[in-house]
Amino acid sequence: MTAAFRPFRMKANNDQNDGELLRLMLAGDEDALTLLYRRRQAAIYRFALQMSGSPSVAEDVTQEVFLFLMRQGHVFDAARGSLPSFLLGVARNYVLRRLRGEQLLVTLADDYEDEVASEQTRTEPGLLEELTRAETIEAVRKAILSLPERYREVVVLCELQELSYVETAEILGCAIGTVRSRLHRARSLLLTKLRPAEQADQTTEVTVKSARCFA
Amino acid sequence: MNCQRFEELVSELARGQIMDADLQRDALDHERECRECMLRLNAEEHLTRGLHALKLEMESVSAPMALESHLVEAFRTRNVVHPIVPRRTMARYWLTAVAALLLIVFGVVAARWRHEQKQPRQVEAAVPSKQYEKQAVAYNRTPDQPKPERPAPERRPKRERRLNGLVAKTPSRNANRDESQISNHVVKEIATDFVALSYLNPENIQEGGQIVRVELPRSAMASFGFPVNMDRYNEKVKADVLLGVDGVAHAIRFVKEY
Ligand SMILES: [Zn+2]
Repeated sequence: MTAAFRPFRMKANNDQNDGELLRLMLAGDEDALTLLYRRRQAAIYRFALQMSGSPSVAEDVTQEVFLFLMRQGHVFDAARGSLPSFLLGVARNYVLRRLRGEQLLVTLADDYEDEVASEQTRTEPGLLEELTRAETIEAVRKAILSLPERYREVVVLCELQELSYVETAEILGCAIGTVRSRLHRARSLLLTKLRPAEQADQTTEVTVKSARCFA
Repeated sequence: MNCQRFEELVSELARGQIMDADLQRDALDHERECRECMLRLNAEEHLTRGLHALKLEMESVSAPMALESHLVEAFRTRNVVHPIVPRRTMARYWLTAVAALLLIVFGVVAARWRHEQKQPRQVEAAVPSKQYEKQAVAYNRTPDQPKPERPAPERRPKRERRLNGLVAKTPSRNANRDESQISNHVVKEIATDFVALSYLNPENIQEGGQIVRVELPRSAMASFGFPVNMDRYNEKVKADVLLGVDGVAHAIRFVKEY
């Protein structure tokens, strides 16, 4: 009589990389889940919070991402990118689904946003120069939340998560050049939103329309 | 450098992202000579500082503590624990191999199944294992569709349609069969969960589909996170493949007879 086959089990520890922890987690190792969660949850939560402005959405999205990882973690392919990028990509899908489903944010129409941003070369001193640090943070946060999704996500990933163009392109599933051009556009939009109100009033009367950025 | 070129570069200049030293020097030379571009760069640098301040402000933010315990609880109550995968990098290879195999098998099985539909069935209660291995079993979730006609005294085995959970299946009894004869053919099975072959949830297949029984090398199980006894690595293992109406394989489960 032969003994039943028992797979060799390696104990999860914090020295292991994400791929090893994922493998152990999928094998039923609870410690691996805990380590992986503690290592990656904050970036996912912050990304969802920065995208939605809602702590409850951020919490739900974080939970959904890890439940997805438990169920479908085997679809992760290290050859196509890192696990953090993979998780942020999953988080992005859940965030966009929530935003579009619940109309959580009242954003201006994309056409309007692009039109205003097309008046480039902002040479006036901006609102940020006149604000305290706390006021600056709040103004920037609000300005980011008012961006159209495709610009908001590049700002969150490149500026707030400090990811490279390559990593951001992996998450968004687009070309690096697209990330670069969207970020440039997004920053122009932010500067427009952060200008003092009187300057903004003057410029909105000017309707100079340039070619749309389809990147 | 002109103002237009400077405008293209100003965001990356303010973010310190320009790696080309010559390009950076040219941009800064232009900025010193051009007031418009100098103010433009100032605005971008203020924005960079504002974004950085927000980033620092949020660095300590993380998910509520309770979420971890909720997830651990969910992890513990999962139906199936997938054992260790020997090598994750082989998954893509096997997934592709299995998908290709299934497309071929499906074509053959579908033609054969249609042919069998036209002939009266003799034995259904217990399927001899050799026939059973390649039998395609159609199911359809729309309840109002008429079922195919069958001879009155015969009953087909109830096919287990659950997609979740560990499922033990036993064929239904048939009074017309001699018990001793049947006992040689009764197939008891235990099956794993269905594992998705794509991001699509198998339960999203609303329009029906087919479960196709195939045989695969036992080593294929490793690709889906199941343990493989290395002594039996080269042996065959039975698997049910869930095909959509479009013929695409959506999920797979492994079956063991006992
Ligand atoms: Zn200039």
